[in-house]
Parts: sequence; C-alpha cells; structure tokens
Amino acid sequence: MTLLKISDLKARVAGKDILKGLDLEVGAGQVHAIMGPNGSGKSTLAQVLAGREDYEVTGGSVAFEGRDLLAMPPEERARAGLFLGFQYPVEIPGVNNVYLLKAALNAKRKADGLAEVDAYEFLSLIRQKMKAMHMSDAFLTRGVNEGFSGGEKKRNEVLQMLVLEPKLAILDETDSGLDIDALKIVSAGVNSLRSPERAIVLVTHYQRLLDYVAPDRVHVLSGGRIVRSGDASLARELERRGYDWVLEGKVA
Amino acid sequence: MSTLLPSPQAASPALRSFAGQWHTRTPDSLAPLREQAMQRFLKLGLPTPRDESWRYTNLRSLASRTFVDAPRRDRSEIEPNASLSLVRESDRAASLLMVNGHPSMPNGDGFIKGLEISSLSDLSKRDPHMLRGYLEQPSDPELSRFALLNTALFVDGLHLRITEPLAVPLILLHVATGDGVNNVAYPRVIIHAAPDSAATIVEHHVSQGRHAPLVASHTHLVLGKGARVEHYRVFATAADAVHLDSLQIRQLESSRLEQFTIALGGGLVRAGLEAQLARDGASLNQYSLLVGHAERHVDCANVVTHAAPGTTSTQVARAIAGDSSRVIFNSKVVVNQGAVHSESRQSCRGLLLSAQAEIDTRPQLEIHADEVKAAHGATTGRLDPDMLFYLLSRGLDRETAQALLVYAFLADVLTGMSMASARSAIEGALIAQLPDSQTLRNFR
Repeated sequence: MTLLKISDLKARVAGKDILKGLDLEVGAGQVHAIMGPNGSGKSTLAQVLAGREDYEVTGGSVAFEGRDLLAMPPEERARAGLFLGFQYPVEIPGVNNVYLLKAALNAKRKADGLAEVDAYEFLSLIRQKMKAMHMSDAFLTRGVNEGFSGGEKKRNEVLQMLVLEPKLAILDETDSGLDIDALKIVSAGVNSLRSPERAIVLVTHYQRLLDYVAPDRVHVLSGGRIVRSGDASLARELERRGYDWVLEGKVA
Repeated sequence: MSTLLPSPQAASPALRSFAGQWHTRTPDSLAPLREQAMQRFLKLGLPTPRDESWRYTNLRSLASRTFVDAPRRDRSEIEPNASLSLVRESDRAASLLMVNGHPSMPNGDGFIKGLEISSLSDLSKRDPHMLRGYLEQPSDPELSRFALLNTALFVDGLHLRITEPLAVPLILLHVATGDGVNNVAYPRVIIHAAPDSAATIVEHHVSQGRHAPLVASHTHLVLGKGARVEHYRVFATAADAVHLDSLQIRQLESSRLEQFTIALGGGLVRAGLEAQLARDGASLNQYSLLVGHAERHVDCANVVTHAAPGTTSTQVARAIAGDSSRVIFNSKVVVNQGAVHSESRQSCRGLLLSAQAEIDTRPQLEIHADEVKAAHGATTGRLDPDMLFYLLSRGLDRETAQALLVYAFLADVLTGMSMASARSAIEGALIAQLPDSQTLRNFR
C-alpha cells in the first residue's frame, strides 16, 4: 500500500527554486534512503513535507494515505502520523522536555479519538523509551534540547519519534554528528519502529547509517530531482564511487 | 512661595502646587534638607524628553494639573489585598499596610522577631540624626528626580531595621487611594538590614477606588556586611494610575541582594533603580519582569555602580509588550576606578506581541577600572519562528505553541524567585494579561 506519493513537487525557498519536479513513492513497511550532495534539496524536501510555512510549494502534489498533505497545516500533519526528525533541533529554554512529549502525545491521541494519557502510564512509557535511547533522567527536567550536545539532540528526536509512533518518519540527517556508539543507539531506535504499517525515510549524506538501518530503496537527489533509484547496493556504490559517478551518469 | 520658584511665570500648575504643598507642611527636624531637595526639584522641573533618562516617557499630562495630598484613610476603609494576593491564607507571612504613604503600625513589640519597625514621623522626632543620614545619601537627580520631591514632601513612612534572619517573609502592601482626580502621595520606606541579617521583603503597590493618586514613592535599601535580602517591588495599580518610583540601594561587604521589579499594572510606571555596590564583594542580582498590556507605559531605568573591588552584578530583564503598550528598559553599569575584579552581566530580551506595541532597551557600560569582566546583550523580536515550527511539527495547536513560548520567555526570571507563594501569584497575574491566558494556565 502506498503511504506517501510525491508527484512533480516543486518548491522555492527565499526566492530560489530548490525542488524542481520531484517524484517519490513510499509504501507501508518500507525504509527509503534519500542521499545526495549538499544543496541538492534533501532538507528542503523534509521541511516541505513537515509543512514549514516559509518554504513555498510552487507545483506538484503530495498524498499521504490518499489525503492532500500540502493542504494540511503542520500540526495536522503531525497528528495524522507524520514525524520530522530535525537536522538541527532547536533549543527551547523554559519549555520542559517531558511537557512537550506529553502535549505532543495527547494532541495525537485527541486526533485519534483517544483520551489523554494517564500520568503514571505516561511516565513509565517515557522511562522505557529513554532507557532504549540510553538517556538519563536528567533529560526529564531540562528544557527542550536546552544545553544538549549535538548527539543528545538527535537522540531526543528519536525518543520523540518512539513515543509518538508515527506512520511516516522522516529523519533529516539524524546520523550526522554522532559517534559510533550513539549511531548504534539511534539505529536501534529507528529499527525498533520498523513495522509493516509504518514507513521511514532517511535523509542522509553518508552510507554509514545504512549499515545499521538497511533500506529497501535508495534514491539520489540532485538539482531538486531524484536522478537515480535502486536497492541498498546503490548506497554502497555511492560510498565507493562518489556522487559524481551518478551525476556524470545522468548526463550520459 | 515665589522664593522657591526660579521663574514663577514659566512654572507649570503642577510645580506651583508642589511648591504650595511644601509651604503648608509643618517644619520638622528635616526642614533644611527638605528645602534643599525642594529647591533642586523645582529648579530641574518636570522631566522632558530632552532629559536623557526620560527620553521615552513624557509627563506633559501632569504639568497642567494642580495636586493636593491624597487623603488619609483608616485601615478599616481599605479592602484587604486590593487586587492580587501575594500570600495565601495558609502561608506564614507578616504584613504591613501603608495607605497613601501613611503606615499602620502593628500593635505591640515582637511583631516579627528580629524586625524593628518605626514610623518616619516618629523617627524624625526621636532620632533625626539617623534619619538625616539616609536622606543625605546622594542620588542621581536626573534619574531619580521624583525622589527629591519625595524627600521634600513625604509626611510619614516606615523605617524597618532587620537585626537577624527573619523567619517569615514581610509583605508591605502600599495602597494608593484618592478622593479626586488630582491627589498625590509620597510613600517613603527605609529598609536597613544589619550585618549578617536576612529577609525577604515584598513591596506590593496597588490602588483602590476610582481616582488613583499620582504616586511618587521612594525606597531606600541598605544592606550591612554579609546581609542577604530578597526584595520584590510589584506594581499592580489600576490602568489609570501614574506611579513614579525610585529605589536606592547601598550594599556593604559581601552582602547579597536579589531584587525583583515586576510591572503588571498601572497606566504609567516609571521605576528607577540606583545601586551602589559600595564595599568589597557585594553582589546584586536584579531581575525585571515587565508586561505591557492595553495602553500601559512602563519605563525602567537602572544604574548599578561598582564602587569597590570584587563586586558582582547581574541584570536580567524580560519585557513583553502587547496591544498598544510600550516598555522601556535602560540599564547602565558603571565600574569606578579601583573596583578591580568586578563582574557585571546585563541581559535584556523583549518580546513583541502586537504590531502597535513598542519595546526600547539600551544596556550601557562605563568602565574606569582594569581587570573587569562585563557582558551585555539586548534583543527584541517576535516569537521565534523556528521554535514555533518545532512545536507545531510535534502536533501542538498554534495557540498552545504560542502560549508555551511566551511562558518560556518569562521563565528565566520566574525561576529565580525563591518565595513560592509570591512567584505563583505573580505568575498568575502575568498570565492573565497575556493572549491565550486560558491555555497558559495549563502549563503551571
């Protein structure tokens, strides 16, 4: 079943065309990796899908479970089951990390017609997920990402994802800036979310993450379009031969 | 009367009425000092936007008015806790009442152990020498111009001497209440914390009734060696009230003061603060929480002087302006020659909630010593779009996300308050004046 269908998507940021007719189809149960050189439009794609308002969509369509995703405000997309793991998670001093998790979970439950989560159940859920992400209790009392190291921020993103259990998770360079131990923890977190009804899109610059989270499909994004798609072996080949190899191939 | 006025024809009705008040006062032991203050005030006149420290606050509307003393009121005529209760019934706290500057003296000794309370009218008879000692301490005439007027015209007030650590917080409720449109009151408070004493003191300004008087108040706070004080001044008067307050601080060796200035009421509030870190190791943490709401105008002017080695000061201000309000925060740190190894930090952040609102901030530094650490920063803007998008992307609705960010903006100052009941009441009153206040209440 197709979860996400992107057709001829065009988007502009600060007056500059970034996405120039992108097509992508992600089925339930699949993990896709989107790779590509800097400036190819990877992060723009992630932000557009999450609903960032200052990114202007100038053409094309995006269907999420058959619904028009682009017509939905960002908070509705989140409640419908779309999750963006940010490349640079923002620090929000004064907003408690756990408070945000609880508010996010309850917003989703409300949209699903469920009652608010019980305080005790919530805390035990959080503790269980934090343990999985090797996060200490100190995270409970801190402001959102406040004073977190780069790696801690990324782990916090994955923690949020595990608590919210989205249908579609888009992880924007969640692997960048992680040491090998943190990469393993984050990968294990991502893998634990894999299931037949969910899909994960990994936006990444490197093959490294894909050693731990095996993708079903790999796409190369360049100049605002998908220029090549393949299976997991494409990522390994890219790592060996560089992006130039694909880009030259495109011209040829 | 004209002997007091440099040029009677140029003087405004307001100045003439102040001079008139001076003439009707019965001379007391402070008379020469009061006359000097009156002369200086009349010479300076009402501040205009040409005065550096008053650039953003225009008092023209006062000039044409003829002021008379606000009435004395009996304690029984005052509704307790006129607008906002800073202490819950269950809390242990002591409270004192001052109505239009006239204190209600508590009955009997031992009101609170370690606190000696005198009225200034009594002290001017009993120990004029000591009282003059406080009144003679120089202050910046431009910044605290109305302190001069207060010195000249205050009728009574309170002297609080803290001799040991106080077991409970002390709430000083200032009620301003008028019987006509042109009343004026001159509340005066002197707080002296003896060496190694400690106290939490809240000065809470409210108004009662339809005609809030003009209030020109002054508080003098002296911290002896090793004293520790947490002082709050909370402005919560009615929307038509004009309040001109000045706070003068003097800190001796290793004393430590946490000072909170909170503006959540009044039509026009001018809050001056002058602090002298006079001896080695004195430390001041000053926090301002300024909420512009409706057409309110709040003008804070701080001058902190490091006059001795190893002194430290921090000023943290958070200003929020909505509707067509205006908030001004000017802070200046002066490090005198010889005040080596001093440290100062100023951080001011403003948050605009409407297109008609305005926030002006200006941190300044004047350093005349070597080996000094000084940092300052000021930013004003709207809600951070990255933060807002992050919260929306987690499914929070827009109203909640915005309210949460406003609340977070205030948190830096609120978390510094150690008096839980005051913090909770202040938080509640602040939130009530913000958009989405219903949502904001859920975060507490």
